[in-house]
Amino acid sequence: MTPAQTTRLDRPGLAPGLPLWRRLLLSEYLVLFLTVVYVAGMALIVPEILAADTWRDILAAMIPLLIVAIGQMFVLVVAGIDLSATSVLAFSSVLGAAVITMDGGPLVGMPAFLVVAVGILAFMAVGGAVGAFNGACTTRFNMPPFIVTLTTMMFFSGAAIWVTTLLTDDGSSIGSLPREFVFIGQGRVFELPFSLLIALAVGLLAHVALSHSLFGRWLFAIGINPNAAAVSGVPVRRTMFWAYVISGACAGLAAVIYTARLETGTPVLGQRILLDVVGAAVIGGVSLFGGKAKVLWVVFGALFLTVVDKGLQLLGLSLAGVFAIKGGVILLAAIVDAQRQRLKGRG
Amino acid sequence: MSPADSRKIRLLLLQNAPLILFLVLVLVFGSLSERFLSPTNFMNIVTQAAHIAIIAIGMTFVLLVAGIDLSVGANMYASCIVVALYMKGWNPVFGFAVAGFLGLLFGAVNAFVITRLRVPAFIATLATLFVGRAIALYLSGVKMIPFGKEILLLGRTTWLGLPVPIWIFLLVFVIAWVTLRLTTYGRQVYAVGADPEAAAKAGIDVRRILFSVYCIAGVCAAIGGLVSASQVAAASSTFGFQKEFPVIAAAVLGGTSLFGGRGGVVGTVFGAILIQTVENGLVMINADPYVYPLVVSAIIFIAVLVDSLRTGMLERLERRKIRVETA
Repeated sequence: MTPAQTTRLDRPGLAPGLPLWRRLLLSEYLVLFLTVVYVAGMALIVPEILAADTWRDILAAMIPLLIVAIGQMFVLVVAGIDLSATSVLAFSSVLGAAVITMDGGPLVGMPAFLVVAVGILAFMAVGGAVGAFNGACTTRFNMPPFIVTLTTMMFFSGAAIWVTTLLTDDGSSIGSLPREFVFIGQGRVFELPFSLLIALAVGLLAHVALSHSLFGRWLFAIGINPNAAAVSGVPVRRTMFWAYVISGACAGLAAVIYTARLETGTPVLGQRILLDVVGAAVIGGVSLFGGKAKVLWVVFGALFLTVVDKGLQLLGLSLAGVFAIKGGVILLAAIVDAQRQRLKGRG
Repeated sequence: MSPADSRKIRLLLLQNAPLILFLVLVLVFGSLSERFLSPTNFMNIVTQAAHIAIIAIGMTFVLLVAGIDLSVGANMYASCIVVALYMKGWNPVFGFAVAGFLGLLFGAVNAFVITRLRVPAFIATLATLFVGRAIALYLSGVKMIPFGKEILLLGRTTWLGLPVPIWIFLLVFVIAWVTLRLTTYGRQVYAVGADPEAAAKAGIDVRRILFSVYCIAGVCAAIGGLVSASQVAAASSTFGFQKEFPVIAAAVLGGTSLFGGRGGVVGTVFGAILIQTVENGLVMINADPYVYPLVVSAIIFIAVLVDSLRTGMLERLERRKIRVETA
């Protein structure tokens, strides 16, 4: 099955004769629609949600989340999962910052563009390496991805803190990053954040890789039926391995943006966004059972979660309220996904 | 030595890998610290491991049907906070009854979402993890809530030379062992885990079994929570936070497969004690506290790796048998 076939039912208008609620439920714009409804509802209580500043915040919060979630999508499409993404954020933030710091780092005195280039490479290499480890364990030793990435998550978030205590006196963070590097997170080009360009580039690349390349077709084939894919000559292990590497590298790239924005490498980076990362992909409509994904869906999912977050923030809800609503939203999205599968199975 | 023999030896080593790991760890820690090998310390290890072991026994039922429950930590917080808030001065038996009932309810919600709404167990229990913690945080007002004196007393009382937490843990263990080994229900759990379709064809109500294991995990989480409460004295906002990791790890270390159908509570108890031994040993040898999570996660990783190698090797051995028969 090609991606085009798997997504045909999601297009509105292609299945006339269905009742409106069913068309809406099956539509790939369902999440975008829900976002609009949410914003409209919120605007009645907190009109600030419509302000330009609010949306600038939403965009800023969404960009790195989107990059991690796009990486996660590559793993989800082969029916895997990468729980280590958030620990990669922390670990690569610390190691990457240690490489480029101007406070006694190894690159002091080098030309700025070189430092920035080496820095970005270092961040992504750390992420890619953790991803390669996850990928090797799941494909070579048939270890369940859930538990492999759970242990790597525990290990590397612990390692991030431990390394920080070794590298710094107070054990909190690594600062003195070059100005050119900080620009990646804080700079603006034509009034738009520079990091938006990175997110656009990642999104475009991911879209081409997923929906318009042989690699992407392999991913879908594995996600739908790994045995059939193997019989048809798909290099199943190699493809799955690279899916995990992509997820790790994307998390490393997101760590670049987070770190540049904070101007410090810190081991507490991304501690709270694990659920958001998986959630953004799943809410957008990427199936946890594999074989169903699209970059645009992840964009919608990330937008939805960020907007929900911002709305709750504006409402001034307590920690308990935020937890309850977030858990509820994830549950709702998972239930909707399960029902969609059932409807499609029948249709 | 024939290749078949060497394969059998490798399998034997793999099957007993956690035990070998345990002996190595005891030797290493024992040689680094004199206090580590004392009987008092061993008693401490078991007492500290009791609550993890109890929750992990419930988790074993879930893992046996190839499910997972990430919400056990949230469940223990939510169930125990009620006891801490509203049941001060009550007989602890009532505390356990109420907490157990609330845990059962929590588990039943998980079970409903998983078996009726067909949400994957992983994502369903991830969501209830957040909702459960939210309920507990709301009830407690994000404050540290001390448990009643009678619960604390429970943690310090000994009976026939053993602390009460160990007795509770032994009781849960015996009930779970009898249920899994000696009852029809237990055999059905294994059957569903090994092959749900075959189990359904054999007339087992698969959904009922799936539903029940999440309820059992819920009850165990709440009871384990109260046992933990008797040791930590108060429920802070991080009570039970990320408890699911050591709990799943204990079960997996003990040889319960994440793919379902294989394992048991004896191994789980062993796994819980193994993890506590590592943590206790690291304290005894004055290791850098920042290294704890690294060592613990590395040991869990090794256990899972061994489990996967063993699964792969068993599959290969069985395949060979078929080939011999057809030849």
